[in-house]
Amino acid sequence: MKLREVTLVAGKELRETLRDRRTLAVMVLFPLAVYPLVSLVTAQVLAARLARVEAHVARVAVGGDAPLTAEVRRRLTGPDLALAPAGSAADLVANRVDAFVEVTPGPSGKPPSVRILFDETREDSSAARDRVAQALGAVTGAGCAPAFQIVTQGIAPRARVSGYLLSKILPLVVVVMVMLGAFHPAIDITAGERERGTLETTLSAPIDRAALMAGKVLAVATLAALTGLLNLVSISLTVLEGARLVATGAPLSIPWLHVAAAFAVIPPTAFLFAAVMVAIGSVARSFKEAQTLLTPVYFLCMAPSLTAALGDFRLDGITAVVPGVNVTLLARDLILGRAPLGLALIVLGSTIVYGLCALGLAARLYDSERLFFIDEAGLGLGAWIRHVVSGRSVAPQVEGPNQDAPTAGEALGLYAVACVLLLFVFVPLQSWRLGPGLAISEWAGLLGLTWIYARGRGRRLSAVLRVGRPSLGATVGAVLIGLSAWVVVGLLAEWILPAPKEVVDNLRRVIAPASGDRGTLLTLFLMALTPAICEEALFRGPILRGLRTRFSPAATAILTGLLFGIYHVDAWRLIPTAVLGVALSGIALAADSIIPAMVAHFTNNACLILLARLHADDTSGLSRNAKIGWGLAGAVVFSIGAALVARAARTRRDM
Amino acid sequence: MGDPAIVVDALVKTFGSKTAVAGLSFSVAAGEIYGLLGPNGAGKTTTLRVLAGILTPTGGRAAVAGLDVAAHPLEVRRRLGFLTNTTGLYARLTGRELLDYFARLYGMSPGAADARIATLIRALDLAPFFGRRCEALSTGERQRLSIARAVLHDPAVLILDEPTAGLDVLASRFLRAFVRAERDRGKAVVFSTHYLAEAELLCDRVGLLHHGRLLAEGTPATLRAAAGDAPSLEEAFLRLCAAHDEPGSAVEVVGP
Repeated sequence: MKLREVTLVAGKELRETLRDRRTLAVMVLFPLAVYPLVSLVTAQVLAARLARVEAHVARVAVGGDAPLTAEVRRRLTGPDLALAPAGSAADLVANRVDAFVEVTPGPSGKPPSVRILFDETREDSSAARDRVAQALGAVTGAGCAPAFQIVTQGIAPRARVSGYLLSKILPLVVVVMVMLGAFHPAIDITAGERERGTLETTLSAPIDRAALMAGKVLAVATLAALTGLLNLVSISLTVLEGARLVATGAPLSIPWLHVAAAFAVIPPTAFLFAAVMVAIGSVARSFKEAQTLLTPVYFLCMAPSLTAALGDFRLDGITAVVPGVNVTLLARDLILGRAPLGLALIVLGSTIVYGLCALGLAARLYDSERLFFIDEAGLGLGAWIRHVVSGRSVAPQVEGPNQDAPTAGEALGLYAVACVLLLFVFVPLQSWRLGPGLAISEWAGLLGLTWIYARGRGRRLSAVLRVGRPSLGATVGAVLIGLSAWVVVGLLAEWILPAPKEVVDNLRRVIAPASGDRGTLLTLFLMALTPAICEEALFRGPILRGLRTRFSPAATAILTGLLFGIYHVDAWRLIPTAVLGVALSGIALAADSIIPAMVAHFTNNACLILLARLHADDTSGLSRNAKIGWGLAGAVVFSIGAALVARAARTRRDM
Repeated sequence: MGDPAIVVDALVKTFGSKTAVAGLSFSVAAGEIYGLLGPNGAGKTTTLRVLAGILTPTGGRAAVAGLDVAAHPLEVRRRLGFLTNTTGLYARLTGRELLDYFARLYGMSPGAADARIATLIRALDLAPFFGRRCEALSTGERQRLSIARAVLHDPAVLILDEPTAGLDVLASRFLRAFVRAERDRGKAVVFSTHYLAEAELLCDRVGLLHHGRLLAEGTPATLRAAAGDAPSLEEAFLRLCAAHDEPGSAVEVVGP
C-alpha cells in the first residue's frame, strides 16, 4: 500500500464529499447551531421548572412531643417554609401539607428523634423534606452535636412510587422511540422506493394518490407503534428491575394497569409521526436527501416532548392540543393514574387530526414530476416548496435582477454564523456583563457581521440593507405597529404558551434592575435602539433579501420571522418574537426599506422598557374582559398601521 | 380499422425551463406496434409517462382507449399495461406475492386472478423462480416477471419503455416474440427504444423523435426511402437529424 495512493484517494473523496452541501449542512449546522439551540431551550425550561419548585413555599406540619415540637417549630422559620397550625400524616396524604415532621424524645443521652414524612411522588414534597432537614440538621456551634436525629420516610404506596419513577422516563422514551421507529421505514418507502426503481411501477398502478399515501403511512405507523410498544414493556421491566436491585425497603411493583393505559397514546402518536415523516420523505429524491431532511425534523419533533418531560407541565386545555407535548403529558398522567377523560380524548383526537393533516400534506407532496426529474432547473427543493405553497408550477415571483441582493444560500449561511456567534460568543459575553456584552454582541457582532458580509461580497452596505427613504405613510404605519405589536403579540403568547411567573420576573429584572444602576436612557439605547439597528440590519437586511430571491413575499416574511424567533433562544419568547419578526419583515418588504422596520422595532421595545420601568407591565391583575379590551384596542391600532404600510407599498408600486 | 387506441395530439410537456415534449402528435391503432425512436433525451420516456398517467401534460392532449389521460388517470391506468425500463419489481416480494398484489389492485376476483396467473406462468415460463424474491432473480427472469405484471389484467394497450435495455440476445428475442403475440391478439403497443435495428424488426410504424418533436413518422421502409434510400433505419435517422439541425431547415416527413 502506497501512501501517495491513499492520500490521493482521500483527497478525491474529501473533495466530492465537501462539495455536497447537504453533508456540510449536517456536519456544520447541527453540532454548531441546532444542538446548542435545543440544549439552551431545554436548559431554560428546566431552570424555569426548578425556579417554580424553589418559589413554592413548603407547607409543613409538626406533631409529637409538645416541648420538642415547640423547639422544632422555632427552628423551622424562613421565607420558604410555612408552618401549619396543626396537622398529621393524613394531611400529607391528602396533599394539605408538603411534609409532616414527627418529633419524639431520644434515648437517654441521645438527641431527640425527628421523622420527616414526605410524599416521594410529589416534587414539592421532596423539596419540603430537603428544606426541613436542612433547617433542623444545622449545627448550632463549632464542636456541638446535632440537635436532632433526623430520619426521612416516604409515605407513598410502592405502586405509586413505581408509577412515579416510570412517569419520569417512559413518556419521553416512548414518544422518542415511536419517532425513531418511523424514521427509517418512512425513508425506505418513499425515497427508498425511488432509489430501487419501483416508483414508476407504483405510480402506474390504478390507485389514487391519497390511498397510496394512506397505505404507506399505515405501514410506517404500524412499525413505529410496535417499536413504541416494545420499548414501553422493555423499559418498564428494566426500570423496575433496576429499582428493585438498589431498593432497601419493600420491592417496587409495576402499576400494570396504568402502564397499559399509556398504550393508548402510542397508536395516534405513531400515526402522527409516520404521516409527518412520510410527508417529508416524499419530498426527497434520494435516501441521502431524505436523511438530511428528516434528521432536523426528528429533532424538531423531539423538542416538544423533551420540553414537556423536563418542564413537568400540567396537562390542560392548551397543552392538550400542542403536538408532541400533549401525548407526552398524557402518557405521564396515565401512568400516574390521574388523566382526566375529557383531556385524554382531546389529546388523542387532536393528535389524530394533526396526523390526518400531515397525511393530506403527504399526498400533496408526493410530486412525481419532482421525483422523476431531479436535475431539471426549476424543480429543486425551493421550486417545489413554492409549488406546494402556491399550488402552481410557476416561476418564482422573485425580485428583479439586483446585483446587490444576497442569495438565499448566503442568507442562511449568515444566519448559521450568527447562531454560532450567539452561542459561543454573545451568550458568554452577556453572562459576563449584560450591558457591555449586549452592546458588543449587537454592534460588533450582528452589525459587524452584516458589514463584513457586504465588504466581502463587494457590495455597498446601504444596498444590502436597502436603506431607502421611506414614505411618510409607511413610517407612520410602522410607528403604529410598534406601539401596538407588544400588546397583541404579548396577549397572544400569554394565551398560547404563558411564560412562568419566574421567567417574566427575571425578564423584568433585566429590563429594569432593582438596584437602579442603569438609567432609562441607557436601557433604551441598549435594549431598544441597539437591537432596532443591529438585529434589523442582519435579519431585515441580507437574510430577508436573500430569502426573497427564492420565496414569495409572504413565505419570506414567515421564514425570516421564524428564524428571528429561534435566534432569541428563549422557549417562552419564541412565539412573540417570531410573530414580531414576521411583522417587521412584512414592513421592510412592503416599504422596500429597512428604516420603517427599525422604527417599529424601536417603538415596540421602547414601549416594553418604559412600561417595565414604570411598573405598569404586570397583566396578572387585569380581568379577562380588560385583557380582551386591551387586545382589541391593540389589534385596531395594529391594523391601521398595517393598512398604512400596505397603502404605501401600493403607491410605491404604482409609481 | 376502428378508432385509434392511443391518440396523442399536440402534446407539450415542460419541466421548469426545459421542454421535454414540444407539440407531439401521433396515434396507434389496435393490433399495431408503434415504435417511438430517438436518442436519449428525445422525449420518449416523458411521452410514455404521460400516456401512463404518471405525468400531467403541460399542453395538448393524450387519450388511451378513448379516455383523456389528464381527466381520467385512474381509468386509463386500469386499461393499460406499463413496462418500465428498470423492470420496477418490488425486490422483497416473491413473484407470487407481486402478482397477487397487483391482481387485487386491478380489482380482479381471486378465481380470475389465479387463472390468469396460471396462464402467465406457462406463457412466460415463470415456474422455476416464481416462489423466489425478486431481488434474487436474474435480469431476464425479472423482465419476464415484469411482463407478467404489466399484462396481468389483460389490458387493451401496452406501453413498453425500452423493455430490452440490458437484456441478452435470447431474452430480447423472447420479449419481441411476446410483443408480436400480444399485437396479434389485438393489443395496441407503444414501444420506445434507441436500438433502431430492433425497432426495424418489430414495429409496424415508427415515429422518430428529436428534441421533443416528431421528426418523421411512417413504416421503417417509408422512412428509409424518405431519407434517400438509406440502407438502414439508423442511417435514415442520422440523415434526417442532420437535415433538421441545419440552420433554416424545416424537414418533417410524415408517411403512411
